[in-house]
Amino acid sequence: MPRLTFIASQGTSRTVDARIGDSAMQTALAHGIDGITAECGGAMACATCHVHVADEWADRVGPAEDTEADMLEFAASTVTAASRLSCQITMTEELDGLVLHLPDTQI
Amino acid sequence: MPLAPVNDAVTITQLIDNPYPFYRQMRADSPVVSVRAVNRVMLTKAADTRAVKDDPETWSSDDPDTPMKRAFHAHTLMRKDGEEHLRERNAMMPTFSPRNLKTLWGPAYENLAGEYLDRLPKGEVVDLFPTLAGPLAARILADILGLSEASDDDMQFWSQALIDGAGNFGWFDEPFERVDRAHLAMDALMERKAEYYRANPDQTALSVMVNADDPIAWSQIVANIKIAIGGGINEPRDALLTVLYGLLTNPDQLDEIKRTGQWGSAFEEAIRWVAPIQVSSRRATRDTQIRGIDIPKGTVVMTCQASSNHDEDLFEDGHLFNAFRARNPHQSFGSGPHHCMGTHLARMMLGKIMLPMIFDRFPNMELVQPETVIWKGFGFRGPLNLPVRLN
Repeated sequence: MPRLTFIASQGTSRTVDARIGDSAMQTALAHGIDGITAECGGAMACATCHVHVADEWADRVGPAEDTEADMLEFAASTVTAASRLSCQITMTEELDGLVLHLPDTQI
Repeated sequence: MPLAPVNDAVTITQLIDNPYPFYRQMRADSPVVSVRAVNRVMLTKAADTRAVKDDPETWSSDDPDTPMKRAFHAHTLMRKDGEEHLRERNAMMPTFSPRNLKTLWGPAYENLAGEYLDRLPKGEVVDLFPTLAGPLAARILADILGLSEASDDDMQFWSQALIDGAGNFGWFDEPFERVDRAHLAMDALMERKAEYYRANPDQTALSVMVNADDPIAWSQIVANIKIAIGGGINEPRDALLTVLYGLLTNPDQLDEIKRTGQWGSAFEEAIRWVAPIQVSSRRATRDTQIRGIDIPKGTVVMTCQASSNHDEDLFEDGHLFNAFRARNPHQSFGSGPHHCMGTHLARMMLGKIMLPMIFDRFPNMELVQPETVIWKGFGFRGPLNLPVRLN
């Protein structure tokens, strides 16, 4: 089971187990991670599961594709090259140890 | 496990006048409750309403025994699931893309908002429901849908006819006859405009759907536009009136927001405080349980997001308007596959454009006799009037 770490904007971090095939967003909701709202439940119709991928994971996770990048324009916090919608990151064994930073707000 | 306890005390009139005391009591005493007055099992806790909407396999949107099909002359995407729903929703999505919001609809709304505010009389008492909130919501929607020839009054009449028809659980004749008249006018305009857009495509919803590579059926195109008309006027209208009421009755908060510019937070708080769409329904596709209560297959539940938005588990003093909440996980836009398509449009129109604009133009706007403002609605809710003096 891949492990996934969320680091809140205040610096507190939590590491949880992810099910392979679940999205990072679903993993966050399953473990009650504050800071992921996920209003649309993964339909890529909102930008409330916004995360910043830790630098060392950027290559393996990859950048947002076009529709996702468009939707990120609605994110409530600063969007950077490391920004992704966590509903579009699918957990695999290769992502074991992934670190995602949470923005200070999603709305 | 037991079935949901039955409440046969509360009446529909009480729910329409003010459902919040009932919801508060149910959250405390029996959060999953079968309510005779509406013939549904109500869910009143935030965790439950959210879980139901996020699990469309267990909870279908197809509630077969409602007057909606009769009122809309169609089985619409609101009541469909899975691929079928997604295909019809996606047909309209391009119109609401971030790029279109930023380059087309935002600037269009800003111009219209300026025009409508210019027309308001100064120094006398004016009701913002019929002079601003209603017609402006109708105008921008007509333009985005591709029905710019429809007048503000046409749009508001059609919208109300669709809403009244879809909510006509008494199956009376008058609401259906009224909506039938509205269909004649809407259908005629849409047919004319579809022909025009085939030759002159643009980003309006009608044009995008008509000119798609693999278009959905005409009957569904028409139904989608009608859903947008039925659902796209009252929400921004009621949200605007609600947020203005919230700010004008809390002058300390208004002063602070004028200083900080947190208009978006005021908007979010308003729609949490009094959700424009208060309840939705879902049907159980299998036997299931919620909070230890048996929900047999086929049961129609009502997710009461109005109640979830006041849930003590998430909100302190949820009955009070407080634009400075640290967290505001309200459910007013719903969640899951049917998450409101107009979310970003609403946030932009009201939070980013209208609120800063109206308080910039009328910095000393005052609510006249707040106690005369009437709030109504069980399915949809908002103020019926908002008398202000502009200066």
